Amino acid sequence: MKKVLIVDDSLSVARQLEKIIADSGDFCCVGHAKNGAEAIRMNHTENPDLICMDMNMPGMDGLTALRSLVVLDKEVKVVMITSLGGIGDKFTEAIKLGARSVISKPFTTDDVLRVLRNL
Amino acid sequence: MAVKFFGQFLVENRIVSREALLRAIKLQDEKNLKLGEMAISLGFVTRSDIERAHGAQMTKDMKLGDLLVEMGFLTLTQLDEVIVRQKSTHLYIGEALVLVGALSNGQLQRHLDEFKQDQAQYVSERIELPDGVANARIWEMTADLTYKMITRVLGLQFRPGKCQTVATVGTNFMMAAMDMTGDAEARYIISVSEGLQKEIAKAVLHEMNVDAEPGEVLEDTVMEFVNVVCGNVAAKASQMGKIIDIHPPVTIHPPVDGLPVPDGQTALCFPIHVGEGDRMELILLITN
Repeated sequence: MKKVLIVDDSLSVARQLEKIIADSGDFCCVGHAKNGAEAIRMNHTENPDLICMDMNMPGMDGLTALRSLVVLDKEVKVVMITSLGGIGDKFTEAIKLGARSVISKPFTTDDVLRVLRNL
Repeated sequence: MAVKFFGQFLVENRIVSREALLRAIKLQDEKNLKLGEMAISLGFVTRSDIERAHGAQMTKDMKLGDLLVEMGFLTLTQLDEVIVRQKSTHLYIGEALVLVGALSNGQLQRHLDEFKQDQAQYVSERIELPDGVANARIWEMTADLTYKMITRVLGLQFRPGKCQTVATVGTNFMMAAMDMTGDAEARYIISVSEGLQKEIAKAVLHEMNVDAEPGEVLEDTVMEFVNVVCGNVAAKASQMGKIIDIHPPVTIHPPVDGLPVPDGQTALCFPIHVGEGDRMELILLITN
């Protein structure tokens, strides 16, 4: 079972993702970080296979954290989750920085699992 | 389910790989000249002019083209020519994918048609605003997208009321707000009664009952709904050539006599009739 770290300052998005991951049968959630700095720390302590990370967070945002994560951990697979995915420049920036995919909000269970299972 | 960028649609549906998309983006970066580079290539300005204008941007919040005109490096006619040339030579992501061999022309056309069909649900319908509102097309689209998200994300049946300009924003159980800045500026507010806050929480959390949820979680679900709508508004605005940045959402607990509209702003109120005893409004505090 692949381990997933959720990174989002929103309690409700974290709850949605935890439920989708727990019900999937293929993945388990190993933690919830509320900003980019916590994500970097928890990637080190929890060693997840996948990270689902919001782009806009107070403190260290998702793209800044992504930049550090891909330098610190060459194996890390990060999926960005954002309401701004439909903006070509934002999507392109995330992919160029090393995100494996971008999931736009609002998302369905199928949207999330289809991306995670393809990684 | 959301407003999307064509490249994202192709990758999500496994029509092209992430690696092919990256090759196409690299090609776009090489071919699509930025405004300054295009002005240099047309012989209107020098690299040193562009560097001086970039330096001036540190202290002036202006677009490069406007600044080049203000500093006397470009005439308005030349700026128009640069913009026209940028648009006429722009390599779109689909064309770039064909050039890198990830799609054939036939496949591109077919997938563009599929993409248009997928996004047709977000094509704006006409919403009437009072006369004289700045950036009216953006705010009409904002209201329309809000209605569509209420249906798709919250699953609520409703009837939109007539948009009106108000001097005071009426009170309610809670409001969630998000500031939008850039080419069009406003504070986006969703105002809900207690019962509707719970309906939003049920939809966002995918739970049948939210009575035991802490108030913090219930409020967060309304903020998340606002975040989803405003992010999609920014995406739709970018397709209309307008850049809008969104800022973190906040909650507001308004006083009983409501919120007065600050000087220099126009408040548009869009009543959303949901059901007996419940009250929901979209309010746009537009910066004049």
